[in-house]
Amino acid sequence: MSVTHQPGKPTLLMAEDEEDTASLLRFLLERSGYQVVHAPDGKQAQQLIDTMPAPSLVLLDIMLPHISGLQLLPYIRKKPEWKQVPIIMLTADSSEHDIEQALASGANDYMVKPFNPRELSARLSRFLKPAV
Amino acid sequence: MADTALSTSIDNIAWLATLILHALILVLLSSTLIIRHLRLATDRRRKAMVGVWRPILAESLIEAPASLPSIHPRNRVLFLYLWNHLQESIKGESSEKLCAIIRRTGMDAVVRQYLAKGAMRQQLLAIVTLGHLKDASVWTQLAELAHADNAFLSIEAARALVRIDAPRAIPALVPLIAQRADWSPLKVLAILQDAGGELVARALGEAAQHAPPLIAARLIRFLASIRSHRALPLVRPLLGRDPLHEDVLASCLALFGQCSDPRDLPVVRQYTAHPTWFIRLQAATALGKMGVEEDAAILIGLLNDPHWWVRYRAAEALSMLPTMTDDKLSLLVQTLPPGEERRVLTPFVAKRIEAALAASPSIPAA
Repeated sequence: MSVTHQPGKPTLLMAEDEEDTASLLRFLLERSGYQVVHAPDGKQAQQLIDTMPAPSLVLLDIMLPHISGLQLLPYIRKKPEWKQVPIIMLTADSSEHDIEQALASGANDYMVKPFNPRELSARLSRFLKPAV
Repeated sequence: MADTALSTSIDNIAWLATLILHALILVLLSSTLIIRHLRLATDRRRKAMVGVWRPILAESLIEAPASLPSIHPRNRVLFLYLWNHLQESIKGESSEKLCAIIRRTGMDAVVRQYLAKGAMRQQLLAIVTLGHLKDASVWTQLAELAHADNAFLSIEAARALVRIDAPRAIPALVPLIAQRADWSPLKVLAILQDAGGELVARALGEAAQHAPPLIAARLIRFLASIRSHRALPLVRPLLGRDPLHEDVLASCLALFGQCSDPRDLPVVRQYTAHPTWFIRLQAATALGKMGVEEDAAILIGLLNDPHWWVRYRAAEALSMLPTMTDDKLSLLVQTLPPGEERRVLTPFVAKRIEAALAASPSIPAA
């Protein structure tokens, strides 16, 4: 889980417990030129939030083991250097209540799984300049 | 002398037993080691397979790979699991790109074989895969499997039919949806959501009009779960029937609540005074979703209902009323006389406060 920053590449923190989805997201994001730091559960995501420099964007699954994405959201927003980091929530269904709560707690956007890879790129480009 | 002979025989038996025991231990140990070795070999093979194919499948979502490795027959099932999992993680035009991969590898022919004469696991995989492939050539086989006694096979076949051609599948599936109590309601809802709102509203709404009351109620409950606004014009006339079956009435109220069309509000209010407790319960729940400020008075009245569930749902509905704020609810609970009304409402006040706190939880620093 150590993070080595590659200069010139924007870093993304991805908190996603589902192995296949994480692998697919990592592939799509790395192919677009981003450096992906992956946390497979809420605890590891929390550790990364405490130790790594603020990334360019956070992809945060709502349903995470140990600490949920909805709990991590305000934790991220309390950190001064992470305050402005765009956060996109990943949700397994279109549960309106979870989405409402996420947006109210400081998420910038959300994406419902299953997702369209093009939609992912479009949502990322709203917050990030194209990677080198 | 007889004693010596007996002692020798016992010794021999003891030796034989010891030998057999040791042989058995050896066989057990060897078989454990062999099983472990086979398991590790299988795990290694699986990891190698996933390591090769996962990036290829991910790449194929963007552009077609120039060449594809062959798939060893013993890796076919694993490949299909991987492919289906990825297929269910994505949507849009990438899905068709994944289908192209399966055709290029020749696995589409393999799944058709699995469907025709595979073991149960292979057959299930084939049904799901052929649904994603939208392979209409297996329509008849899938339609037959949708009637199978096995609930897993039949519901997956139903889902595959909807994926292949929803307008053709839904009219054929409505009688099954109405009657198959062994089908998981969650899976049925997923099928209905895949099929599309308008198609489902028409098919289920029309079927409910002609179905016996218990089946009509089941169909309307599905419409409520998918919030089918389009079904409202087909369902509303059912309330004019005489006699009106209470299960049908209860499911209609559930649909009205989910859809929250203001035109249904007077009807919902009217049934909060129905003599049957579960009708009052459904009316109170619906009112919590669609009611306006003045409906608080009706719900406060229901906090005194003789039936506990009605009191409970009325309290929940009060706390959920679109016009209800945290302050208003806290004030309301203080104005209620001490007793059951206050007791039943208090947990919902606490729940709202808890929900407000959940938006800013304090989790310990790592």
